Amino acid sequence: MALIELKNIHKYFKMGEENIHALDDVSITIKEGDFTSIVGTSGSGKSTLMNIIGLLDLPGTGQYFLDGINTTEMNDDELSKYRNQKIGFVFQSFNLLPKSSALKNVEMPLQYASSYNSTLNDNLIRTMALETLEKVGLSTRVHHLPNELSGGQRQRVAIARALVNNPKILLADEPTGALDSKTSEEILNLFEELNSQGVTVIIITHDTKIAKRCKRILRMSDGHINEEKSL
Amino acid sequence: MNFKKILVYSSEAIIENKLRSALTMLGMIIGVLAVILLVSVGTGAKRYITSEFESLGTNVIMIQPGKTDKKVAMGPPVSSSKGKLTLSDVEALQRNTPNLSAVSGVMFGAGTIKNENATNNINILGSNDQFNKIFNMTISDGNFFTKEDEDSGRRVVVLGHSIKENLFGNTTALGKLVKINESEHRVIGILKQTGDKMGFNMDDMVFIPTRSALRLFNTDKLFGVRASARTRSGMNDAVNDLTNILKERHNGEEDFTIITQVTMLESMNTILNMLTYALAAIAFISMLVGGIGIMNIMLVSVTERTREIGIRRAVGAKRSDILKQFMVEAVVISVSSGLLGIIMSLAITNALYFFLPGFDMRPPFWIIPPAFMLSFLTGVVFGVWPARKASHIQTIDALRYE
Repeated sequence: MALIELKNIHKYFKMGEENIHALDDVSITIKEGDFTSIVGTSGSGKSTLMNIIGLLDLPGTGQYFLDGINTTEMNDDELSKYRNQKIGFVFQSFNLLPKSSALKNVEMPLQYASSYNSTLNDNLIRTMALETLEKVGLSTRVHHLPNELSGGQRQRVAIARALVNNPKILLADEPTGALDSKTSEEILNLFEELNSQGVTVIIITHDTKIAKRCKRILRMSDGHINEEKSL
Repeated sequence: MNFKKILVYSSEAIIENKLRSALTMLGMIIGVLAVILLVSVGTGAKRYITSEFESLGTNVIMIQPGKTDKKVAMGPPVSSSKGKLTLSDVEALQRNTPNLSAVSGVMFGAGTIKNENATNNINILGSNDQFNKIFNMTISDGNFFTKEDEDSGRRVVVLGHSIKENLFGNTTALGKLVKINESEHRVIGILKQTGDKMGFNMDDMVFIPTRSALRLFNTDKLFGVRASARTRSGMNDAVNDLTNILKERHNGEEDFTIITQVTMLESMNTILNMLTYALAAIAFISMLVGGIGIMNIMLVSVTERTREIGIRRAVGAKRSDILKQFMVEAVVISVSSGLLGIIMSLAITNALYFFLPGFDMRPPFWIIPPAFMLSFLTGVVFGVWPARKASHIQTIDALRYE
């Protein structure tokens, strides 16, 4: 079943006088359990595509079905709810709250989820966060602040935060961009492991080496998308 | 997120930025402190003046010769060539007004008093045997005049506390002779020390019978008449009686002015209330400045935490969640400042009162709930704009913000 279905997506930006056609008639389908990478040079439109898939931005025209529901008709609150429930983000620069401990960072999505799910009390939130941190191999460092952790550990915290609410999609934007090759390898192994457990993973990257680890590669250039490798 | 969690998170954010929060709070604390202290000064002054007034006797009625149409009793006593109050007026009042507990004519003049030890320039007050009841005077030694002293105009004198000290020191003064304007008087009483009361100090005065004073100043015209109503509620009846009796005696003409302590207190209160309001208005301005301080810091905080806002939105925070978060933060700052300001104002005024019991500036209780409400409202009013701004930041821009 198609988890993500983009139909004829266009996206325009205005930069000064110039009109940029960031996405030009993009149509893709990603199935549940896929391990997909979207590659492309900077300016190819891959970040715009990621923002739209992640419901951080809306397409100019076209339709986006996520888990069978048309998201282009949603209001801001519904989009927030969908981000919370269906999507986990992993960013290149980790984007952790610097003054909150690893545990607090991982708990955060559940705190917002608790307004949709009344069974999520503070005890359950703590338990779920600790379990997820253990899953990414950080059970010994839960009370450390991000600046007390190494880059790889920070990215693990970010991955735990993305996973804690059991999303359908893990959306990673250059997840190894700020890490050395050894740590990158560990993070990619973690993604593979998560994928084997059934999480749909989408990695946006410019690095073809990383892309090759994925089961499927989509290449972006000048706002167009092409299948480069498929299952 | 529920409200309790937001409250916890906001408090954590405030604690994480200790210095900045403390400085912001300082502005608000000073604002609340100013509101309470200035209002306390106003009400304290009012309380002080009222109690001073009441210690002079609240049922006092003053009758001055001459008529003014002035309603308010402040300002210099009226003296007019027109109209004349005499001892027979006083006697008529004593006979005919059941609502008055005491009536005395007063004669007032400057003079000197001397004995073999010293000479003092003094104020001489001529009054009858009922005068001490009108003004709650206490005799520490000897007695006040008797009716016989007054009726026969005996040369007797009651000394104010300071005058006695000046002339006799620690030795006994009772029964001794002193010269008042070269006329010998016998000391029959000493007043208990009173101190300064509304600029009127009995310690520096000597009291002699009215008849003696009229003779001393060679006149038959009284400076005025002082009386006291039997009860406070009987004040209006007493004033009516007085007016009717005096009018009848003065050929139907109202050539005198009646001033009661009630009217004086009323006009005094009007002025003191104005003072309190003026002080409150000044304090309100400092509150405003404190509020602007909060708004400033919240705007800085929103800019500084743009990325945090982006992260929170990405993991599922709604606009309203962000709005609440920053609103609550502003309100927590302002309310905790308000509470601290209230506690500090109580501590300061109570410490002052402890060390200087005469200096009672303790805030009235009624000011505390409005001061608290005001700090709460300041947080709400000045927190809205930064919080709205925070909630309308675009998520993708915020995530890229450096």
